[in-house]
Amino acid sequence: MSVSVQSLVSQPYKYGFTTDIEADAIPRGLSEDVVRMISAKKNEPAFMLEFRLKAYRKWLTMKEPIWPNVSYPPIDYQNIVYYSAPKTQPKKLGSLDEVDPTMLETFEKLGIPLSEQKRLANVAVDAIFDSVSIATTYKEKLAESGVIFCSISEALQEHPELVEKYLGTVVPIGDNYFAALNSAVFSDGSFVYIPKDTQCPMDLSTYFRINNGDSGQFERTLIVAESGSSVTYLEGCTAPMYDSNQLHAAIVELVALDNATINYSTVQNWFAGDENGKGGIYNFVTKRGLCAGKNSKISWTQVETGSAITWKYPSCVLVGDSSVGEFYSVALTNNHQQADTGTKMVHVGKNTRSTIISKGISAAKSKNSYRGLVKIGPKATGARNYSQCDSMLIGDTSSANTFPYIQVQNSTAQVEHEASTSKIGEDQLFYFAQRGISPEDAVSMIISGFCRDVFNKLPMEFAAEADKLLALKLENTVG
Amino acid sequence: MASSVSDVSVLATADQRDAYLKGLVQAVKAAVPGDLGLGGMRSRAEALLNEQAFPSTRDEDWRFTDLSAMLSIEFAVAGESAVDEAAIADLRLPETAGAQIVVVNGRVSTALSRIENLPPEAVVGSLGSSPDLSAKLGERLAQASGSHEVFTALNTVGFQDAVVIWLPRNVVVETPIQIIYVSRLQGNPAIVQPRCLVVAESGSAATLVEDFWGNSADSQFTNSVSELWLDANAQVSHSRIQREGAGTFHIGKTVVTQARDSQYVGTAVDFGAKLARHNWEIYQTGEQTTTKLYGLGAIANTQHADTHSLVALSHPHGTVEQEHKAIVDGKAHSVFNGRMAVAQKAQLTSASQLNRNLLLSDKARVDTKPQLEIVADNVKCAHGATVSQLQADEIFYLQSRGISAPQAQRLLIYAFAMEILETVSVATLRSRLAALISQWT
Repeated sequence: MSVSVQSLVSQPYKYGFTTDIEADAIPRGLSEDVVRMISAKKNEPAFMLEFRLKAYRKWLTMKEPIWPNVSYPPIDYQNIVYYSAPKTQPKKLGSLDEVDPTMLETFEKLGIPLSEQKRLANVAVDAIFDSVSIATTYKEKLAESGVIFCSISEALQEHPELVEKYLGTVVPIGDNYFAALNSAVFSDGSFVYIPKDTQCPMDLSTYFRINNGDSGQFERTLIVAESGSSVTYLEGCTAPMYDSNQLHAAIVELVALDNATINYSTVQNWFAGDENGKGGIYNFVTKRGLCAGKNSKISWTQVETGSAITWKYPSCVLVGDSSVGEFYSVALTNNHQQADTGTKMVHVGKNTRSTIISKGISAAKSKNSYRGLVKIGPKATGARNYSQCDSMLIGDTSSANTFPYIQVQNSTAQVEHEASTSKIGEDQLFYFAQRGISPEDAVSMIISGFCRDVFNKLPMEFAAEADKLLALKLENTVG
Repeated sequence: MASSVSDVSVLATADQRDAYLKGLVQAVKAAVPGDLGLGGMRSRAEALLNEQAFPSTRDEDWRFTDLSAMLSIEFAVAGESAVDEAAIADLRLPETAGAQIVVVNGRVSTALSRIENLPPEAVVGSLGSSPDLSAKLGERLAQASGSHEVFTALNTVGFQDAVVIWLPRNVVVETPIQIIYVSRLQGNPAIVQPRCLVVAESGSAATLVEDFWGNSADSQFTNSVSELWLDANAQVSHSRIQREGAGTFHIGKTVVTQARDSQYVGTAVDFGAKLARHNWEIYQTGEQTTTKLYGLGAIANTQHADTHSLVALSHPHGTVEQEHKAIVDGKAHSVFNGRMAVAQKAQLTSASQLNRNLLLSDKARVDTKPQLEIVADNVKCAHGATVSQLQADEIFYLQSRGISAPQAQRLLIYAFAMEILETVSVATLRSRLAALISQWT
C-alpha cells in the first residue's frame, strides 16, 4: 500500500482533559457499610437500601465472567472509589445559574451546552458528572406534556412508586456479575417516564462524564414508555485520559408497554487508552429492553468507538405479541482496544420480529467480536429474525470474530443469519485514486458506506457526528 | 450470556463426574491387549486425562449436549465377539468389493474383511497385522492436533485395535475402501472404541467410506477416533455414515491434517443413535489446501445430534467450503457449532459456511452457532445460518401443480437432503441413503 497503514491513530483524544474540581468522594473499597453510606448520602427510601443490600449479597456469591473474548488483568474491586460527587454542588438546584461555572465550562468544552437559551437543537439533556446528575434541561417544558425526565436520584425522591415498580424488572439484580455490582452501588443516571398516548415533544439525551481518576462509574438508566407513547433517547460518554483503567458498569432498563416505541441511541467515546494500550475505560454494561406490551417496539442503535474494553449486549425481550426488537451497531476498535459486543433477541410472544445489523471494524492490534443470541421460545409462533454481521479488517494484526448463537424451539419461526468479512482493498483505493480522491478520503468514504445501514438509523445530528468520529479514529490507519 | 439450558448435568457434582471418568479410564485400560506396544502413547494420553473432567453443559463445547444420562450407566469394555456374514451382507457396497474392512466391537475381523482388490503397495488392515509400519506409526498415530480432547484421549488409552490404511507415494486406489463398524454385545452396557488411521502420502489418492451401523436398542457407548493425514498433493474423498442403534451414545472424532496442495472432501451423515456427537476437525499444515465439508443430520423422536466442526487455517491460499444441514422432527434436538479460525498467516483464504435447519415439529429444537475467528485481513469469509419450517409458498407452488400437500412436503425434504447426499461419491451408498430419506417422513 502506498501509505503506511498503521500510522493512523495519531489523532489525539480531544475529550481527554480533566476538570479540577473538588470532589466529595468516599474512601476506596466496597463493603456493606459503603452500600449503606451511598444510600444514606442520597437519602433514599428504605426499599432502595433493601434492593442494594440484596444485590451486594448476591454479588459476593458470584464470579466474574470469563467467557468474553477479552483479556485484562484482574480488577481489584477494593481499590475503586464507589462514590464521587463534585463538592460545590448545592443540594437542590433552583436554576442553571446555580451550577458551578467550572462544570458548565466542562460541558461547554465537550460540546454540550447546558444553558437552555443558547441551545439551538431541540434536545433535553441530563448531564452526569462522576456519580451525580448536574443538571437536566427543559424539565418544565417536558412536564407540560406529563413527561418525567430527571436523574434517578431525584426520581427516587419524587416518584418512588414508579421507580419501585420498574427498577430491576428488566435486569434482575443477580442477572450477571456486573449487573449485581451496579445494583448495589449505582449512584445516578436518568429516569424517563412517558405517560399514556404521549409522544415525547423533544429528543431526550444523557451525557456521561467520568472525571475522578480512581472512581468507577455505575449509572443506572430507567425508561418507561406507557401504552401508546414514544420517545427517542440519546446517550453520549467521554472521560479524561488517565494511565489507569477505570471501571464503568452501567445498567439501562427499558420498558415498553402496548404500542409504545423506544428508540435508544448511544455514541460511546470513553477514553480508549493510548496507542500502547495503557489506560482507558473498562466498559462493562448491561442494557436490556422489555417489550412488555403488544405491538411495542424497542430499537437500539450504537456507535462504539471508545473504551479499552467493551462488553455490552443491548438486548430485547419480546414478550408482547407482535412486538419488534431492533439492533443496529457499529463497533470500531483500534490500537489495543477490545470489544465483545452484540445483542440478544429473546422471542417469547407470537409474531415477534427482530432485526440485527452489526458492523465491526478492527484496526491495528485490536480485537473485535460480535456475540449474539437469537432465541425463539416454544410459544413464539411466527417469530422472525434477520441478522447480518459484517466485519472489516484493517491491517493483519487485528482480529474479527463472530459468535452468533441461534436457538430455536418453534418450527414456525424463521431465522436467518449471515456474516461476511472483508478488507479495504488496494484495488478500491486505486479506483478512488484514479478519480483524484486521496487514500484518506477514500477510506473514510468506504467506511461510511460500510456503516450506512446503521448511521441511517441515528438521529440526524448524531449521524453526522458519528461519521466524523469514525474518520477521526481511523485517520492514518490506511494510507 | 445467561445459560438457559436446564443444567441437569450440573446437578451431578464435579466429583461425581470426575469419578465417572476415572472409572471409564480404569475399565478401558484394564482391557488393553498387551501386544500392540503402544505403552508410551497410552500413558501420555492417560496423563492428559488426569487433568480433565467429564464434560458438563457448563463447558462451552458441551453447552447444548447433555451427557448426564451416561453418568448413571456403567459401561464395560465390549469383549471379542463374532458376527455372522448375514448380519452385515446388506452393508457391503458393490463398488467396494475386495476393499472392505469389518470392525466388530472395535477389533478388525479378519474373517469378514476382504481386501484382495487393493494395490499391493498399499497397507490396509489392522494395527497388529502391519508390523513393518511400527517405526513410522509413532509420527502419526494419536499425533494430530486436538488429541488431548477428553474422549480422544480416552480412545487412545484404551482402543483394542486400529484400522490402518497407509498409501505410499503416488499410489492411487481406484476401488473405494469401506470400513464397516458393528457391535455385538452380550446384554450389558458396553463401551466400544473404534480407531482408524489413514495416511495418504504425497500424491496418493483414495475414497473412503466409514459406516457405523447398529440396530439394537441396548445401551452402548461408541467412542470412535479416525485420524486422516493428507500429505502434499494427496486427495481423499471421505463419507462417514452414522446409523447406530437407538440406545447408543455415539461420540466420534474425525481429525484431518492437510499438507500443501492436498484436497479433502468429506460428507458426514447422522441418522442414528440416541445421542450423537461428531467432532470434525481440519488442521492445515501447508498452503493452498482445499477442504469441502458436507453434513446432514436427519433425526426424530428424542434423538440428539451434535456436530462440532473446526477448520483451523494457518497457511495462505486455503479454500474451505462447508454446508451443514439438519432435518429435525419429533422432540429431537440438533446442534451445530461450526468454527473457522483464520490465523494471521492464512492470507488469501477463501472460506464459506452455510448451516440450514429444517424444523418439522413444534417440539423439535435447533441450536446453532456458526463461528468465525479471523486475524488475517486479506481473506474472503462468509457464513450463514437459517432455521425454518418448510416454506408455505413452496408447498403451495407444488400443490398448484396437482401435487398433494404431504407429497409436496416429502419432495421438499428429499430435495433439501439430496443437496448434501449428492456429494457422496459412491453411487450405491448415495442411492441407499436417498432411499432412507424418502421413507423418512
